[in-house]
Amino acid sequence: MGKQEYRIQTYCTIRSRSIRVNGNRFFDAEPSTPLGDFLKAAYRELAVDYPKFHKMDGLCKAIFIAAELIARESGPYERHTALLFANRSSSYLSDNRHAHDIFHADNPVASPATFVYTLPNIALGEISIRHQLQSENVFFIFDHYLPEFMVPYTNATLEDSQPNGGSALCGWAEVTEETCDLLLYRIGTSGQLTHSVEQLKRLYNEEDE
Amino acid sequence: MSELTQELKAKIIAQLNLEDLTVADLDDHTPLFGDGLGLDSIDALELIVMLDKSYGIKLSDPKEGRKVFETIQTMADFIEANRT
Amino acid sequence: MRDDVYIIGDEVISPLGLGSELNFQRLRDGHTAIAPVMDMRLRDHPIHAAQMDGNPWNQLVKNASHYTRLERLFILALQRLIERHDIPLDSETLVILSTTKGNIALLGDPEGTFPEQRANLTAMAEAIRQYFGFENQPIPVSNACISGSLAIAVARRLLRYDNRYKRAIVVGGDELSKFIVSGFDAFQALANEPCRPFDRNRSGLNLGEAVAAVYLSTKPTHGAVKIMGVGSFNDANHISGPSRTGEGLYLSICEATREAGGGMPDFISAHGTATAYNDEMEAIAFHRCSLSAVPLHSLKGYFGHTLGASGLLETVMAIHSLKNNELIRSLGFAHPGTSQPLNIITQPTRRPLNTFLKTASGFGGCNIAMIIQKV
Repeated sequence: MGKQEYRIQTYCTIRSRSIRVNGNRFFDAEPSTPLGDFLKAAYRELAVDYPKFHKMDGLCKAIFIAAELIARESGPYERHTALLFANRSSSYLSDNRHAHDIFHADNPVASPATFVYTLPNIALGEISIRHQLQSENVFFIFDHYLPEFMVPYTNATLEDSQPNGGSALCGWAEVTEETCDLLLYRIGTSGQLTHSVEQLKRLYNEEDE
Repeated sequence: MSELTQELKAKIIAQLNLEDLTVADLDDHTPLFGDGLGLDSIDALELIVMLDKSYGIKLSDPKEGRKVFETIQTMADFIEANRT
Repeated sequence: MRDDVYIIGDEVISPLGLGSELNFQRLRDGHTAIAPVMDMRLRDHPIHAAQMDGNPWNQLVKNASHYTRLERLFILALQRLIERHDIPLDSETLVILSTTKGNIALLGDPEGTFPEQRANLTAMAEAIRQYFGFENQPIPVSNACISGSLAIAVARRLLRYDNRYKRAIVVGGDELSKFIVSGFDAFQALANEPCRPFDRNRSGLNLGEAVAAVYLSTKPTHGAVKIMGVGSFNDANHISGPSRTGEGLYLSICEATREAGGGMPDFISAHGTATAYNDEMEAIAFHRCSLSAVPLHSLKGYFGHTLGASGLLETVMAIHSLKNNELIRSLGFAHPGTSQPLNIITQPTRRPLNTFLKTASGFGGCNIAMIIQKV
């Protein structure tokens, strides 16, 4: 039996204050723009009606925007599209906010709306709801983007999910107070680019023109 | 009374991140949950925190909460009756 | 053909004690780790929780002061597992860590004795790697309350598909902290009494802390159990409330069962957190899968909800149930409290047992089901 080869169908990067889809600019802001304002402006540019966006934290907003752009570019996701994500800081933005709320605020009170985001996989839940994905979710924590791990793991996941589907949305989403280092890519049985470590390193290291 | 409902509307919009709404958009009698504003279970918990933090009222019975949070008006009535 | 993957070793550290066998014995004897705890570092009023004593078993960890409390627990569980099974620490050994919040107690806490940066999970993984000299960097999986079971599934998948790895160690844990307690309080999710999974008077969960570990191999040994099937699907319903139809869990159980070749488990170790919504959702999912008559328990009445440890901890205890042919009763249950009936285990029961189903669900709408069988 021949081994199934998987392809990168579409990818989206959010670097500093610049959003690109398949290498093409979607939206830019001044580098000095606060992260929250940048993501809100990108959402407006998306012109999608999804009020829950405003409740999300920075990590979820960034992932939401990228997932939306990828769907726009290459069509709605299959229901069982596996979500395989990783970052270095987990849910640091919300962790910090919650810690501030309970330790340092003048009137220390925990906010349920903040606490719910103190898990990195909530972002996967948010895009599952948005795109009606009933699929595997996994969130890994790596020191840096690690296609050496993600490629074989993604391929194995796709092989395992053969009875149900053969697509995945993978992401490296490192979002901190002011930085955004995000690469999301959709994997399927067809697509322009080979799903390989070398290819992903190239996409990840793509320079601004 | 209307000062409190205005205040509540502003607080709710801020606390619940209802970015696309203004105070003028919120009617005193629109259902907050279900078909009206469509708030969810996390919003309900946030409103409970807000009642405590801003008005000193502790609400721990979720059934009581449902009645209190029916509309802006019911919230304002409850706060007027119970604030510390 | 893909290799089968077996669990050939396990370890548990909990407030009930050190070691899987000891913990299982405590369950058989009906001991619970849950008690009223008055600890100002967690909350300014008492909480029903399963807490370990201050700094347990420090003398068993070399240079203990170099490691945080949670790291010491991970290290101790790993050390015991590695020594007992003589596990090589080379490039063929995959190491997966499961935790929801790791060293989060260091964040913002004025009394923290380590830099805040240690709250980062890669820093924790690195500290553990350095202690043992693992050739492979331990890989943290942080996926809410399914992390423990999910970590087993991740390791299994890599052992089956990636011939770089011959064996895997999966270790998971979480500790109590103000960070976590305050959050669950804000969710009004905590019961002010010992929790009652599936009971009609259940009023929420109790938090707990523990570390558990399993040793996976593609080569069975005497006493091994086999992972027969795994399924994991998100509900796509709500980020903190489970699907009212148990959609994701239902799909997960169907897939695990399909992969296992059909059949019925001899018992179910459910997630059973004792919140109104979780237990109801599980009952619906089990009913949809025609599992309503299968003997079922939740172990959260003994250990509390141990978050990143729970999937691993409860799986290990279920494995010991299999080996001892003994069903552990579901502590905290008295009266049916779900819209669909369940066959809750109310007495310790000896009978031949071959297979169990473990389920878990978590914030973010994630679910997982795993079927494990005696070899």
